[in-house]
Amino acid sequence: MIITLYINGKKESVECQPGEMLTEVLRRAGYVEVKKGCDTGNCGVCTVLLEGKPVLSCSYLAIRADGKQITTIQGAAKEAEEFAHFLTAEGADQCGFCAPGFALTVLAMKKELPNPSEGEIRHYLAGNLCRCSGYEGQIRAIKKYLEAEHA
Amino acid sequence: MEILEFASPRTLDEALHLVRDRHGTAIGGAAWLRMNTKTMPLGVDLSELGLDYIREANGSIEIGAMTTYRELETSPLLEARFGALFRNTVSHIVGIQLRNIITVGGTLAGRYGFSDLNTTLCALGAKVVFYPGKIADVASFIQDGEEWPFLIEKVLLPVSARASYQQMRITANDFPIINAAAAWTGSSWRIAVGSRPAASRLCKKAMVLLGNEPYPSDEKIGQAAVAAAEELQFGSDIRASAEYRREILPALMRRALMEVRG
Repeated sequence: MIITLYINGKKESVECQPGEMLTEVLRRAGYVEVKKGCDTGNCGVCTVLLEGKPVLSCSYLAIRADGKQITTIQGAAKEAEEFAHFLTAEGADQCGFCAPGFALTVLAMKKELPNPSEGEIRHYLAGNLCRCSGYEGQIRAIKKYLEAEHA
Repeated sequence: MEILEFASPRTLDEALHLVRDRHGTAIGGAAWLRMNTKTMPLGVDLSELGLDYIREANGSIEIGAMTTYRELETSPLLEARFGALFRNTVSHIVGIQLRNIITVGGTLAGRYGFSDLNTTLCALGAKVVFYPGKIADVASFIQDGEEWPFLIEKVLLPVSARASYQQMRITANDFPIINAAAAWTGSSWRIAVGSRPAASRLCKKAMVLLGNEPYPSDEKIGQAAVAAAEELQFGSDIRASAEYRREILPALMRRALMEVRG
């Protein structure tokens, strides 16, 4: 069946099977910046924003996204790039595989929580696993990024 | 999971017809579907039925079947009436991205052994409403099930309660190896245990032991916590042995009861 997705502000008509998850459909449509990680709903690598909320695209039925707004990291490139400066400055990015999902979750948090504490940041990011960083650099980067945004 | 046909009903009557008369399978959050290798002849999507709400009505707090865990976690109404209970119950589950997907109705329908939420609902004395109106205790439904086919419309909670949820996990994103919830309903205690690893159960003997005393002594709480572990059956799996679960439970139950008593 054909569904209509509004991906990064662009209307796309894509074919999907009723049981397919959103990751597969997005990647087949060329949005390969949506990474496929654990594919079991645990790692957060496949995160996209659906109507502004972070969801695991590997666990979301594509057919339910019919008519909805989806943001991948490419659709938030400008903000993500600003955040990336803080990540690199803190040495918080290594292989980069988790970065698209991680950055989208940070951007969603920035909109949802006006002035998060470190505990709230850690809680919000708990669903984004990173094999490389050990998380401390990421936390420093997020705090400095938010401080700069509020300055 | 392969779904051969997908229907998006716009009314509960239509959804019930598809489930009951065409043997469709109601689809909740659908987060677990990809783990399933079966073929579903007809999937019935419940996301267009307006079942996404948390509200006070008719002397209860009503939670629609398609309400997500994230909505439970951030609901001002639930926070006002139950304190941190729902936040504590669901905030350990993976991440916000998954909690924006999984639903109350999906969890209940699955009667999952590992469920955090079902234990809390049992302790609160929650009711489940099957469309078009049959009402059952959540604790009874989890224990005995319901004649198939059924369609969960919503969950009813008391308008307020003092309650606590406790759990133990090996790692943060894993299923709990054991969980416990306690609630003072205003006239009696209700306590439940889940992830045994089997599904949540009320601890009826321990509830009788606590009686209708809103502020039980430390000694009485200790006795009830031990009684809860003695009256339930525990199992062993990859996460913990039955003996370990039985050993851990009294500590969790004591914490829950003491937090509620104050």
